[in-house]
Amino acid sequence: MIWIVKNLWLIPALPLFAAGIIAVNKQPARKLAATLAIGSLAVGFLLSLCAFSATLGHHGEGVFREVFSFPWIQFGGQWMDLGWVLDPLTAIMLVMVTFVGMLIFIFSVGYMAHDENFMRFFCFLALFAAGMLGVVIANNLFLFFVSWEIVGLTSYLLIGFWYHKPSAAAAAKKAFITTRIGDLGLLLGMVWLYAQTGTLNFYDGGHGCMESTQLVKMATQVTIGGFAVSTVVGFLIFLGAVGKSGQFPLHVWLPDAMEGPTPVSALIHAATMVAAGVFLVARVYPLMAQSPLLHGTMWLDTTPMLIIVTWVGAITAIFGASIAVAQNDIKRILAYSTVSQLGYMMMGLGVGGVAVGMFHLITHAFFKALLFLGSGSVIHGCHEEQDVRKMGGLKKYMPVTFAVYAVGMLALAGFPLFFSGFWSKDEILHSAHNWPVSHIPFLLGCTGALFTAFYMTRQVALVFFGNYRGHQQAGTPSAHAHSHASESSHDPHESPAVMTVPLVILAGFAILLGFVGTPAWPWFDGYLTGEEFKFDLSKLTEPGTLGLMIASAAIVFTGLGLGWFLYGKRPRKTVAEKDVLEAAQPFFYKVLENKYFIDEIYEGTVIRFNAFAAWLCDFADRWIFGGAVMLVKYITVGLAWLYRLTDEYFVNLGFDTGCEALRESGGGLSKLQTGRVQTYLRVIGVALVALIIFLIWGRKA
Amino acid sequence: MNTVNYLEILRLAAPETIVTVTVLIVLGADVTVMRGKSIAARFNVGALLSILGCIFAALLAFTRHTEANLFNGLMVVDPSSDFVKVAILALTVFTILISTSARFTDHVGEYLSLILLGTIGLMFLVSTEDLLMVFIALEFASLALYILTAFNKHNEKSAEAALKYFLFGGMSAAFLLFGFSLLYGISGSTNLREIAVGIAGKGFDPLLLVALVTTIIGFGFKVAAVPFHLWAPDAYEGAPTPSAAFIGSGSKVASFYVLAKIFTLGFVGAEGSAVWHGYLSGWTPVFAIVAALSMVLGNLTAIVQSSVKRLLAYSAIAHAGYMLLGVLSNTPASASAMMFYVITYALTTIGAFGVVMVVEEATGGDAIKNFAGLSRRAPGLSLCLLIFLLSLGGIPPLAGFIGKFFLFSAAVSAGANLGLLWLVILAIAMSAVSFYYYLRVLKAAYVEDAPGEAPAIKVPLLTFLALVLLALLVILFGCVPGLLTQFL
Repeated sequence: MIWIVKNLWLIPALPLFAAGIIAVNKQPARKLAATLAIGSLAVGFLLSLCAFSATLGHHGEGVFREVFSFPWIQFGGQWMDLGWVLDPLTAIMLVMVTFVGMLIFIFSVGYMAHDENFMRFFCFLALFAAGMLGVVIANNLFLFFVSWEIVGLTSYLLIGFWYHKPSAAAAAKKAFITTRIGDLGLLLGMVWLYAQTGTLNFYDGGHGCMESTQLVKMATQVTIGGFAVSTVVGFLIFLGAVGKSGQFPLHVWLPDAMEGPTPVSALIHAATMVAAGVFLVARVYPLMAQSPLLHGTMWLDTTPMLIIVTWVGAITAIFGASIAVAQNDIKRILAYSTVSQLGYMMMGLGVGGVAVGMFHLITHAFFKALLFLGSGSVIHGCHEEQDVRKMGGLKKYMPVTFAVYAVGMLALAGFPLFFSGFWSKDEILHSAHNWPVSHIPFLLGCTGALFTAFYMTRQVALVFFGNYRGHQQAGTPSAHAHSHASESSHDPHESPAVMTVPLVILAGFAILLGFVGTPAWPWFDGYLTGEEFKFDLSKLTEPGTLGLMIASAAIVFTGLGLGWFLYGKRPRKTVAEKDVLEAAQPFFYKVLENKYFIDEIYEGTVIRFNAFAAWLCDFADRWIFGGAVMLVKYITVGLAWLYRLTDEYFVNLGFDTGCEALRESGGGLSKLQTGRVQTYLRVIGVALVALIIFLIWGRKA
Repeated sequence: MNTVNYLEILRLAAPETIVTVTVLIVLGADVTVMRGKSIAARFNVGALLSILGCIFAALLAFTRHTEANLFNGLMVVDPSSDFVKVAILALTVFTILISTSARFTDHVGEYLSLILLGTIGLMFLVSTEDLLMVFIALEFASLALYILTAFNKHNEKSAEAALKYFLFGGMSAAFLLFGFSLLYGISGSTNLREIAVGIAGKGFDPLLLVALVTTIIGFGFKVAAVPFHLWAPDAYEGAPTPSAAFIGSGSKVASFYVLAKIFTLGFVGAEGSAVWHGYLSGWTPVFAIVAALSMVLGNLTAIVQSSVKRLLAYSAIAHAGYMLLGVLSNTPASASAMMFYVITYALTTIGAFGVVMVVEEATGGDAIKNFAGLSRRAPGLSLCLLIFLLSLGGIPPLAGFIGKFFLFSAAVSAGANLGLLWLVILAIAMSAVSFYYYLRVLKAAYVEDAPGEAPAIKVPLLTFLALVLLALLVILFGCVPGLLTQFL
C-alpha cells in the first residue's frame, strides 16, 4: 500500500484542526485564521496532487482502487469498520475541492475584510472543508454520512452567517430542514443497506456493499411493491442526493441560500457541497446500475433507478433554467443556473454513467465558482447591490471582472470548442441522445441549453453593458444625466488583487479543463473507468458526434443571439422599466418570476398541512392527553386525600396510640425497678416458684 | 485418681498463668517503681504492662492447638474454649484502654489488677466441664466485678450499686449452689457429661425441675435476663463506666459460653420444647419465657430512660433476650450464631461505654441531654457512637446486623415447622422498638444543639484509638463475618 493511501486522512484532518485552533483563539486574530485555513487547504492540495498522481498511469488495468480500513465499534459480534478509499473518483474530487476551496478562501480574505466576524467565518469555512473532504475520501457510508452532516451543519451556519438579517436566518432554517427531508431517506437507506449486507464499506476486497457479491444478493431479493432491494435502497440513498443537490422537488432551499456571503455561495452552494449529492450517486453508482435481473423486459441496458435519476435530472435542468430567465437578483440567477446544471449532472449520471456526470461536475465547479466570485466582485464593487436592474455599464469600471465573467458565462452557456462547458454538456446531450428509454430528456436538455445561453446573455448584458443605473432611485426614471455626472466615490470600483487573481486562475481552468474530455481525447473517461483510449481527431468528425455538436452549437448561438437581441441591443434605461419579456408575455414572465409558485404550493400544502397537524397535535395534547393527565391527576389527588385521611386518622392515630402505649408500658415496667434490693430479691423468689409451677403444670399437660 | 502432674496443669493453664503473673507485676510495679508518679503515668505504665500480658496470653491461646481433659473435666482445653479466651482477653485489653483516661480513683494498680483477676476467673470459667469448677470460677470473677463496681469511692451511688449487685449476686449464687447440689444428688456426679447420663430416664422428677430453675436463676443473674436483671440498671449506672463496660462485655461472653455448655451438655434429654402449640416441659420453654420477657421489658423500659448508661443496661437486657434465642434453639448453627452475636455485641458495648465515659468526663453526666451537639464538639467521637449504636440497633453493614441475621435465621430453622417463629417475630418487632431509643441518643448528638457555650471535647488519645479500632472491627465483622465465624 502506498503511503498516500495510509495518510489520506490528513487531508480532511488538517482543515478540521485549523478550524479547532481558530475556534479557540481570541478575537481578533484575522491573520492567523486566514493563514491557518488557507494553509491547511494548500497542504491538503499538495497531498491531493500526490494522491492524484498515484492514480495516474493505470489505463487499461481496470480501475485503480486502494482502501484503508480500521475497526471502529462493535455491535454484538460484528465490528464496524471506518476507512477511506483512494480511486480516481476520490482523487479528482480531492484536487477540485482543495484547489477551488483554496482560491475561494483567498478571495474571501478580500471579500470579508470588513466583517467583524472574520474569524468565525474562517472557522466555519475550514470546518466545511474538513467535512467535504471527509465525504470525498469516505469508504464507508457511515463515515460518509457523518461528514455529510458536518457539511450540512456548516452550510446552515454559513447561510445564516449574517443571522441578524431575518431573511438569512430563515434561509438557513429552510436549507437545513429541506435537506433533512432528503437525509432521512439517506439514513433509512443506510440502515437498510446495513441490515441487508452487514457492512457499510463501499469497497472491502470483495465484501463491500458496492462489490458484486453483495450487489447480486441485494438485486435478487424482492421487497415492497415487487422492487429489488437494491432499487429501493438506491432510491432511499438518492433521496439524500436530491436534498443536498437541490434537485426538483427539494430545490427550494438553494436559491434562498444565496443569503449567505458570496464566497459561501461560490464554494458551498455552487462548486462543492451541492455537488456532493451528485458525487454520492457516482459513489453508489454500482448499486444504482445493478440490474434487478429483469432481463428481456422493457429495460434495455439501464435500470429503474437510473431512469429515475435521469428524469429527476432532466426535469430539474429545464426547471431551473427557465426560472433563471426571469430573475433579477444576480446571485439568484446563478443559483437557479446551479440547480439547472446539477440537473444536467444527474441526467449525465443517469444516461451516460459516472464519467459523463462527473466531468460536468468538475468543469461546472470551476466556471460556476468563477461566476459566483465574479458576481461577488460585482456586488462588492457596487456597494452590496445585488439587483441587476440597478447595475449596467460595469464593463468600464471593472474590466478584469468583466473579462473573467465573460469567460465564465461562455463556459456555462457552452460556447463551442474553446470553453469547458461545451464539452461536458455536449457529452451529456450526446449520451441522452443515445438513451434507449426515451428521447424526452434529450429534448428537455436541449431546451435547457437554449435557456442557459439566453439567461446568461441577459445577465451579462444587464450588468456589464449599457449605462450604470446604480445612482437612480427605484421608480425615478431618466436620471441618466446624473449617473454620469462624476466619478464619485459612489461609482462602482474594481476589486483588489486578492479577489481578482483567484478569478483569473479560475477563468484559465474554465477554458482549459474542457480539453481533457473531448470526444477526440477522452482522457477523463479513461481515467475514471480505467479503460484504454487514444488521441483520435477523427472521432470528432463521426456523423453522430459531429451532427450533435453542430446542433448543440446552433442552440447555444440561438440563445446568445436572442439574449443579445432582446437585452444587449437596446440597453435598459431605467431601474423601473419593465423587463422585455414581461412586456411581451406578462403571464409566463409572472409564472417564471415566481418560480412556478413552488414555494407558494409548499406553503399552501405541506406547510399548511404541517401547521394544521401541529394545531391538531396541540389540541390533542392540550385537551385529550392533557385531559387524561388531568383526570389521572384528579384521581391521584383524590386518592391521596383519601390516603391522607386514612393515614392521619387511622394509621397514624393507631401507630401513635401504639407508640404511646409502648412508652407508657416502658414507664410502667420501669416502676418495677424500685431501687430497693429487698424487692429485687423477692422477685427472684417469686420467679423461682412461678417457673417451677409452670414446669410442673406443663409436665402434667 | 491418677497422680497429679502439676507441670501439666501449668502447661495447660499457661494463658491464665501469664495473666496471673501480669497481675503481680502490675501490682508490684505500681507500688514500687511508680510510687509518687502522676495518676496518668501510673495508668499508662500499668495499662501497658497489663495489655502486654493479655496479648501474650492471647497469642499463646490462639496459636496452640491443644485438646486436653484434666481431672475428669475439671480443666478442659480445646480450640473453641481457647478462642473464647482470646475474645475475653481482647475485651479486657479494650476495657483497659478506655480505663486509662478515667480519673475516679488513685488506686491504679489495684484497679487494673482486679480487672485482670476478673479476666482470670472468666478464663477458668470457659475451660471447665465440671459444676464445682464452674461455681468457683464464677464466684471468683463475680467478686472481682463487685469490687470494680464499688471502686468509685467518691460516689455513693457506686457503693450502693455494688451492694445491690453483691446481695443479688449472693442470692443467685445460693440458688445456683442449691441447684448444683440437687443435680449432684440426682446424678451422682459433678461432671456435665456424667450428669447427662445420670438424669437420663429420670423423667421429670420435681427435684430435677427445681435444679433446672435454680441453675437458670444463677446464670440468668449473670447475663441479666428478666426477671433476674434487677441489679443491672443500678449497677451499670452506679459503677465506674469502665467497670460497667467490663461487666457488660467480657463477663457476658464467658457467661453465655458456659451457660450454653451446661445446658447443651448437662441437660441432654431435658430440653422440652418451646415451639408454638407444642409446649413440653424442659429447659427450653423456661428460656423461651425468660428471653421473651427480656426482649419486651428491656426494650420497652429503655425507651423511658434519660441516663445513657441505664439505657445501655436495658439494651443489654434486651440483647440477652436475643442471645438466649440462640441457646434455646439448641443446634450447632444457633450456638455459633449466638457466640458471634455475643462477641460482636461485647465489642460494640465497650465502644458505647467508652464514648459515654468520655462524654461523662467532659460534661459531668451521662444523661441524653449531655450528648446534645456532640457531633460539633467531637466529630470523630460521635461518628464512633453512631457506628456503635447503629450496630446495636442492627443496621447493615455493621456487625450487629449480620449477628442478628445469623441468630434469627438459625432460630427459625431450628424448631420443627418453624415452631420458634413466634419468638423470632417478637425479637424482630422489639428490635424495631429499639431503634427508637438508640436514635434518641443519636438525635441528641447530631441534631440538637449543645446548650450554651460548648467547647470542643478533647478525646484522650488512647481511648480514641481504642474506639476507632472497635468501630473498625464492628464494620469489618459486619462486612466480612467469615473472619470471626471460622473460629466458632
